[in-house]
Amino acid sequence: MLVNRKLILAHFWLAFAVFGVALTLGAWQMFIRSPIGTWLSNPELYYRSLTAHGTVMGYVFPTLVAMGFGYAISESALEQRLVGVRWAWTGFWLIVIGSVMAVIPIALGRASVLYTFYPPLIGNVFYYLGVVLVVVGSWIWVALMSINLRVWRKAHPGAPVPLAMYANVAGSYLWAWTAVGAALELLLQIIPVAAGLKNTIDAGLARIFFSWTLHAIVYFWLMPTYIAYYTIVPRAIGGRVYSDSMARISFILFLVVAMPIGMHHTFADPQVGAGFKFIHSAFTALVALPTLLTVFTICASVEIAARLRGGRGMFGWIRALPWDNPMMLALAFSFVMLGFGGAGGLINMSYQLDASIHNTQWITGHFHLIFGGAIVIMYFAIAYDLWPHLTGRELIDIRLIRTQLWLWFVGMIVTTFPWHWVGILGMPRRMAYFDFGDPAIAPQALSVTFSAIGGFILLTSGIMFIVILARGMRTPKVDAGPYRFAIAVHQSATVPVALNTHALWVALMIVLTITNYGYPILNLALGAGTSVPAVYVGAQ
Amino acid sequence: MSSEQAHRSVEVAARVERRWATIAVIIVVGMALLAAFAGIHRATMPQPRVETTDPSRIHLSGEFVESNLGSVLEANGNVTVRAIGQQYSFTPACIVVPADTPITLRATSADVVHGILIQGTNVNTMLVPGYISEQLMRFTKTGDYLMPCQEFCSFGHEGMWGKVRVIDKTDFANRAKAGGRLSCVGQ
Amino acid sequence: MSTRDLFTFSNRHFTIGVGVIAGILVVTGIAGFIVLPFAQPWVQFANVWDAICSAAGVPQRAANVTAPEQAKRLSEVVLTSRTLSRPSQEAIGRGATLAQRCAICHGPTGISRADSPNLAGQYAAVIYKELHDFRSGARTNAVMSPFAVNLTDEEIADLSNYYAYLPRLPAYHPTPQLPKPNIVIYGAPMRGIAPCGACHGSLDNKTGSPWLEGQSEAYLKVQLQAFAAGDRRNDISQQMRNIARAMTPQEIEAAAAYYASQPPDVVKAVD
Repeated sequence: MLVNRKLILAHFWLAFAVFGVALTLGAWQMFIRSPIGTWLSNPELYYRSLTAHGTVMGYVFPTLVAMGFGYAISESALEQRLVGVRWAWTGFWLIVIGSVMAVIPIALGRASVLYTFYPPLIGNVFYYLGVVLVVVGSWIWVALMSINLRVWRKAHPGAPVPLAMYANVAGSYLWAWTAVGAALELLLQIIPVAAGLKNTIDAGLARIFFSWTLHAIVYFWLMPTYIAYYTIVPRAIGGRVYSDSMARISFILFLVVAMPIGMHHTFADPQVGAGFKFIHSAFTALVALPTLLTVFTICASVEIAARLRGGRGMFGWIRALPWDNPMMLALAFSFVMLGFGGAGGLINMSYQLDASIHNTQWITGHFHLIFGGAIVIMYFAIAYDLWPHLTGRELIDIRLIRTQLWLWFVGMIVTTFPWHWVGILGMPRRMAYFDFGDPAIAPQALSVTFSAIGGFILLTSGIMFIVILARGMRTPKVDAGPYRFAIAVHQSATVPVALNTHALWVALMIVLTITNYGYPILNLALGAGTSVPAVYVGAQ
Repeated sequence: MSSEQAHRSVEVAARVERRWATIAVIIVVGMALLAAFAGIHRATMPQPRVETTDPSRIHLSGEFVESNLGSVLEANGNVTVRAIGQQYSFTPACIVVPADTPITLRATSADVVHGILIQGTNVNTMLVPGYISEQLMRFTKTGDYLMPCQEFCSFGHEGMWGKVRVIDKTDFANRAKAGGRLSCVGQ
Repeated sequence: MSTRDLFTFSNRHFTIGVGVIAGILVVTGIAGFIVLPFAQPWVQFANVWDAICSAAGVPQRAANVTAPEQAKRLSEVVLTSRTLSRPSQEAIGRGATLAQRCAICHGPTGISRADSPNLAGQYAAVIYKELHDFRSGARTNAVMSPFAVNLTDEEIADLSNYYAYLPRLPAYHPTPQLPKPNIVIYGAPMRGIAPCGACHGSLDNKTGSPWLEGQSEAYLKVQLQAFAAGDRRNDISQQMRNIARAMTPQEIEAAAAYYASQPPDVVKAVD
């Protein structure tokens, strides 16, 4: 039951529009710093573009997708009109205003500090205020998801919350709490300095706050993808979810352990104690658990679909899968990229191995493969799946859709595999140009060229995606029927309270944050005397 | 499907699931143990202490004054290297160290966040203003290594490349006899 | 079971969840704070408490180290992005009076008619730092040093504010504008040279670095050569010596000639 289609479409269209812009910037960056580009006479342009790319791709695009998808889930899984539509629009417009407010100083070269902020570099205050507005807008969504679930519970006392909504609300809580780290950094540390009220800042403390957000934000990006794995893919390919409770446990695990592990981003930092680094390292290993469980459950669910279609044999069933179905294709690509990206992630989480690749191009390769690859390709699939229900029109270019997904997959592999490789060779991140003529780094030139070509394949695929959706607004009207989610093989009538509510897990998440972040933050916040003079970028 | 059959199949599903979950837990625990083991048996551990300093005054007193930057042969035969990162260079811009010797790198930043990465090795640490980074290292091969700054430090970041020169142990000892702090700047 | 029993030990999920998390915390805590610190023979801890505090990251001031005696006097100026950032009109006025004695070399409008540096519109922090360095002897010049020795801290600040306040004017002997040489545009990454503009104003200003457009070619060249040779060493922690040393003589000439030929209006303002 999708009533507020306009609201959902607005979120998706804005998300994909900004995605298109940021993707173009990304492709340009790949090109301009590669051996086939020419060195920029103004390196600041590169950092400006990089700031815009990171800010949009990290904060605006996935947030809008999660919000739009969240509203769609709330209406269709709960079969209940969205409560608080006016608030939802308020959140949407806050994001629009915030994005514009952040992008103007970036475009003027007044905030080329990159999306990670890293003080004591300080840009224009409106950049940070814009990011805050985006986050505030998304918090309205968090509240609405919680309220809508509560309203539904009142009407259905004791009934199991549909899996999609359960996961969606878990994702929204994760985001609400995750964003607090960066929010504290912005409100307590950066904005007072950017506004000129203070002129010193603790750079080490800021990095700790940011790590609070920086890792779990990835799991927030991941949530729509995992919801699609569990609740859309099996339905779309004619199967069942292998296990409803395993799915819930996976989302719960993400909620609990995605957050208190962020310090694996600071393994090489001098301001964090080694003991906390070890604890975070161990908890980071734990977060592999929900992914391993998901891989099993989804493979089993897919196998069910294959066997229902007449698949036989130990591995013979794989051939019986509906490979021409875009959802099947997207899932397979997503899993392949998740596999490689996850393996890379295991290297990042151990501080012995991390030392070899910390802050090299390996890291950028890694998160592009996971986020840009495994996650975003499922965003595409979600959009394709939802579109007829939102527009009331059919997407008729199935071939084009398949080509688009193929190109994204190939493009992502071509981009990120060489990227990982040059990282191992020690190529640092975030440089506007490299002197590939120097024999010491000349061997990296070929790999970087491949990456740049991959960037253009991705750009092509991104354009195709937007064209497909735009054409989908003009095809003849059809009745797509109600939007449904996959059901489990054994759909039980009751679910244990703990797996049907979030309170216990949210409490554990907060407690773990306190144990794992409380001391390191207070330690530096209260009188370490390590505030340093701010360095204002762009001669402002 | 009868209800008994359905019940049995639920059990089968749950059993398979539990088995997989066990395997997953074993993988995770194994990885954590591996990290702990490697921590004990290889020197790549995070620095043991958090030490602080004032970045705008490091040139006035303390261990990062100009005359103390560079490599020094300690009484116990180990080598200590002190360096700073600043927009947009390392000082010393060329670090000289002996091969096959335990080396302690102590470094900090004079302004914004930088990073030290020695290519072809796993020497890799952040330089955060206000804090001192310490890293143990040991080189087995002589030769020149590139040492780029690995974190964005504003618009000259692309030009912040230093160098490490690993020389023969006895050569280093000979050069160290003259006293002072060694570097390969201008050589 | 109802929602009320959620947070009780009769709830299996609560017991397992809390138990497992607490267990992992205890085990990793013991490993990270006690076992691993002592398992590293290359680190010495006074006792268990010292090991725990270190692993927790309690900040410690670095131990005192005796550095070798400095052969020559170096800069003792402390600069931050807020050094002299809000001058008063009175300070500028006092600076104007003081500046009369500078006019012989640096020109009545802050534009030199000889090869002394132009000061009109220069960043305040730059003049502040150089005057302090001339006064302390970290930088020496036969003509300039005697003028600086007797300046008070306040006079230095006033002079800096005054010259920063003056409008940026074209050089006294303008030369035809030269195209940007590669060393200025790109630097030379593998030699550790960033683009000049990253510090010297056209891209960004690093506090204490002057903007250079319209300065005397001879002056710029001599200074770069002095930095390269180590004769001038008042750049804090060698920030300019590192760059100049890596430049070739041709690059020094090209950079000096280029900057001398530029009008002053390409520089970004501070504040």
